[in-house]
Amino acid sequence: MQNPLLSISNLGKKFGGVTALVDLDLAVPRNRIFGLIGPNGSGKTTFFNVVTGIYPATSGTVVFEKEDITRFSPQKVYRAGVARTFQRSRLLLPLSILDNITLGDHSQLENGLFFNLFRRRALAAQYRQLLDKSRDLITIFDPGLADRIFEPVVNLPMISRRRIEICRALISNPKLLLLDEPSAGMTHEETHRLIDDILQIKDKIADLTIIIIEHEMSVMERITDHCAVLNFGQKICEGTYQQVAADPEVQKAYLGVD
Amino acid sequence: MSEPSRTHASLLPSVAAVLAGAVYMVFFLAGESQMVVFGLLVGAVLALAAFKHWRVLDAVGQSARDHQGPFSIVVVAAVAAVCLYFYDDAFVLFLLGTVLVYVLTCLGLNIQFGFVGVMNFAGASFFGVGCYTAAVLTKHTALPHLLIIVLGGLLAALLGFVILIPVLKTRGHYAALVTIAFALLFKTFLEVNDTLGGPQGLKAAGLNLFGWDVGRDIAIGDFEGSFYLGYIAVILLLAILGFIMARRMEDSWIGLNMDAVRLDETVSACFGQSIPRWKITAFTIGNFYCGVAGAFYAMMLGYIAPTNFTFGDSLILLSIVILGGLGSLWGTVVATGIVIIIPEKFQVLQEYRFLLFSALVIAILLFRPQGLLPRPLRGYRTLKSLPGKS
Amino acid sequence: MDIGLIAQQTVNGLMLGLIYSLVAVGFTLFFGVLDVIKFSHGDMLTWGVFTAFSVYLGLTLIGLAAPVLILVIVALVAMAAIGFLGAAIAKVLIIPLKGAPPLNTLLITLMLGTVLRESIRLFYPDGANPKHFPALLPDWSHSWGHFTLRFDNALMLLTGLLMIVLVQLVIKRTKLGMAIRAVSQDEETARVMGINFNLVVYVTFAIGSALAAFAGVIYVLYYNELSFNMGLLLGAIGFSAAAVGGFGNIYGAIVGGFLFAMLQSIGAAALPFASAYKDVFAFGVVIVLIAVKPTGILGEKETERV
Repeated sequence: MQNPLLSISNLGKKFGGVTALVDLDLAVPRNRIFGLIGPNGSGKTTFFNVVTGIYPATSGTVVFEKEDITRFSPQKVYRAGVARTFQRSRLLLPLSILDNITLGDHSQLENGLFFNLFRRRALAAQYRQLLDKSRDLITIFDPGLADRIFEPVVNLPMISRRRIEICRALISNPKLLLLDEPSAGMTHEETHRLIDDILQIKDKIADLTIIIIEHEMSVMERITDHCAVLNFGQKICEGTYQQVAADPEVQKAYLGVD
Repeated sequence: MSEPSRTHASLLPSVAAVLAGAVYMVFFLAGESQMVVFGLLVGAVLALAAFKHWRVLDAVGQSARDHQGPFSIVVVAAVAAVCLYFYDDAFVLFLLGTVLVYVLTCLGLNIQFGFVGVMNFAGASFFGVGCYTAAVLTKHTALPHLLIIVLGGLLAALLGFVILIPVLKTRGHYAALVTIAFALLFKTFLEVNDTLGGPQGLKAAGLNLFGWDVGRDIAIGDFEGSFYLGYIAVILLLAILGFIMARRMEDSWIGLNMDAVRLDETVSACFGQSIPRWKITAFTIGNFYCGVAGAFYAMMLGYIAPTNFTFGDSLILLSIVILGGLGSLWGTVVATGIVIIIPEKFQVLQEYRFLLFSALVIAILLFRPQGLLPRPLRGYRTLKSLPGKS
Repeated sequence: MDIGLIAQQTVNGLMLGLIYSLVAVGFTLFFGVLDVIKFSHGDMLTWGVFTAFSVYLGLTLIGLAAPVLILVIVALVAMAAIGFLGAAIAKVLIIPLKGAPPLNTLLITLMLGTVLRESIRLFYPDGANPKHFPALLPDWSHSWGHFTLRFDNALMLLTGLLMIVLVQLVIKRTKLGMAIRAVSQDEETARVMGINFNLVVYVTFAIGSALAAFAGVIYVLYYNELSFNMGLLLGAIGFSAAAVGGFGNIYGAIVGGFLFAMLQSIGAAALPFASAYKDVFAFGVVIVLIAVKPTGILGEKETERV
C-alpha cells in the first residue's frame, strides 16, 4: 500500500505471562474508515491502548505519518494527531458539555499560569472562540446539545455522551480518530443514528482517517472501507467487509470453536 | 437561567442575605451568655431550614452567582462593617482575624484537594513552616515584614518539594501515607529541635508595615480602636487576593486541566495533559497559601509552639474544606467561619471541638458528600463579563 | 557499644517490631477484603488497652489476686470486645461506603479515630492523663554478662510470634481463610461461589481489630503506661509498615513492621546526640521508600484497565 497513515509492524504486547497481541502487521490507508473486528478479548482495545501510548509495546513498531511513535507517551501521541474514544464512555461526568469538549482541544489552548491568571482579556477571547467552535461541532451531531452546553454531562443519555466523546476527540482536528465500540450501551436504532453522524463528519472533514472497533456487524458493513479481524491477539484476516465476512477462519472464531 | 439577568432587582436577594448574615454575626459575636449564643445557633439552623423549604436559599444562590462582582464587594463591606462594630473588642477581633487566616489556608488546601485531587494531610505543617519563618526572620533579620510574609509562603512551597516526588509517584492511599508521615515527622522535628525552641516554641515580632507598627492601638482623631483592626485589614486584603487568584484559576483552562487530572488521569493523558504539571502547580500554590497565612498568624499571635501544627490540626483544616464542599471557594469561607467561631463562642464546646467536628465530618461524608455549599459548575462567568474581541 | 547493650536493643527492637507487625497485619487484612484503609485502627488499639485496664481494675476490685489469670482474662476480654467493635464499625461505616471514592473511607475512619480518641480523653475517668499499667507477669530474669533477659519479655515475644503464625495459619489453611482470600482476589466471583461477602468482611474486621487489642496489651505490658493518644502514632506506624510492605500482603505487613522498628533503632543508634530524632528518621525513610517503590516492597505493580 502506498503511503499509509499508520503502519504497524510486528507489534506485540504481553501482560506478565498473558499475550494480548502477537506480531501484528497493519497498514491503515489515509482518509478511510478502517474496521477492527474480533471476539471479546482478541486484543482490539489493547491495540488502541498500545497505539495511544497507554501501554508500552513489548515488541514491534508503530509508525504514524512516517514518524516512529512506538515509545511515545499518550500526551505525545495526542499531539502527533491521534485522538480516541473509550469503550466504556469516559467523560468527566461532573463537568459541563463545554468543559468535556474543551478538554479535547488542550494542545491549542494557552495553558501557562501567568496567561490564565493575569491576561484575562486574551483568555476571554480564546474562551469565546472555543465556545463557538464547540457549539458548531456539537450542532452537527445534535443541535439540542448545543443549547445545553453549560449543563453537566452526568444527566445525559448514552447516545449524547457518545456524541460528546466524539466531539472531544474531533475538536483538535486529529488526523486519526480511534473509535472504541461506539455502539456499546446503545439501542440498535441509536447506534445507526450515531453512524449517520460519523459518516456526515467524515464527509465534512477532508483529512480524517478513522479506525473503528465494533461488534455490530451491520455497522461495520455500512461504514468501513476495509476491515481486519483479530483473534487471540493475531490478525487472521483482512479485506473488505464482504471478503472478511465470507472467510471461514473468521466464522470459526466468531462461532467460538476453541 | 443560563444567561445572567442583569436587572438590579435580581441582586436584591443576595444583598439581603449578606446583610442579614452580618446583623446575625454581630448579635452572635456580641452574645455574652451561653444561653443566648445557643439560642442564636438553634435559631440560625431553624431559619436556614425554613428558608430552604421556601426556596429562598435557591434565590439567594442564583442571585449571588449572577452578580458575582457586586456580591463579593457587598460581602467584603459586610465583613469590614462587622469588624468596625467591634472596634475595641480585642477578643472578637482576634477571632475574626483568625477566621481570615484560616480562610486563606483552607483556600490553599482546596486548590490542592478540591481542584487537582491531592489530599494534603500536612496542611498544618506547611502553615507551621510559615509561622517559624516569620518567628526566626523577624528576630534575626531586618527584612521588611511584607517580604517575610511572602518568604513564609515560598519556604512552605519549597518544603513541599521535599515530598513532591513521592506525592507524584503514588496514588490514593499511598499518597495519603506520604503527607501523613510528613505531618508526624514535622511535628516531632519541631518538638525535639532546640534551635527552634523545642516544645516551648518561639516568640514572633509584631507586624510592621513600612513603618506602621500594626501592633499598636489605633487612634485617629476621636476614634480609638484595637490594634487588631490593623491586622484584620492586612489579612482581609491577603484573603481577598488569595480568593481572587483561586477564582481566576478555577475559571480558566488551568481549572479545567486540574479537574480533568482529578477526575480521570488516563483520559487527561490521552488529551495531552501533563499530570505532574498540574499536581505540582496546585500542590505548590496551595502550600504557598498555607505558608503566607502561617507567617501572618505568627506575627498576629506573637508566639508559636509545635502544638499548633499537629496532625489533628491538619485534619481540622481538611474538615473545613470537606464541610464547605470540595472545590467550593465560598463554601470554604462559610465553613471556616463555622468551624473557628462556634467553639470559641461556646466555651463548653471548646473542650469537645475535635470530637464534634470529627463526628460532623463523618455525617457530612455519609449524608451530604458535596458539602454545605456545593461547588457550582464552571460557567466561565468571570470571563463572560470581560470586554474583548472574539 | 558492648554486646549487652546491643542485645538489649535487639530485644527492644524485636518487641516493637512485633507490635507494629500486629497492627500492620490488621491494616493489610482490611485492605485485602475491601480495598479500604481503616485509619481508626490505632485508636482501636487504644480502646483495647483501656478495656483491658478497666477489666483489670474490675477484677482486682472483686478480689481476684492471681496476676497471670487476670492477664489471660484481661487479654481475652479486650480482644473479644474490640473484635466485636471492629465488626460493628465495618457494618455501620465501612460497608455502606463501598461505592464511594476510597479516600472517603480513609477520611471517615480518620475522623472516627479522632472520635474514639477524644471520647477516652473526655469521658474515661481522668482520661486526659496517662495511667500506670501493672506488671502482671512474674519478674524472673537471667543475666549473661551485661545482658539481662527478662522472662516476661521473652514470653511476650513468643506469644506474639505465635499469634502471627496462628493468623497466618488461619488465612492459609482454614475454610474461613480461604473465603477471606477469595474475597480479596475477586469479590464478584466470591459472591457467585456462594461466599457470604458481608460475613467475611465482619469476621476479617473482627480478627484485625482483635489483633490490635492484642498488640495493645503487649505494648502496655512492656511499657506499663497507657494514654488516650497512644494509638495515633502506633496506627500511623502500622499504616506505614503495611504500605511499605505493600497493602494486601500479610508477609509485607510483617516485614514492614520489623523494618520500621529497625529504622527507629538505627535512627537512635546513628544519631546518639539526638535519639529523639529516631521517628523523624524512620518516617523520612518511609517517605523515601514509598517514592522508590510506590506500591510497597512486596506489593504488586498496579495496572489499570482502560
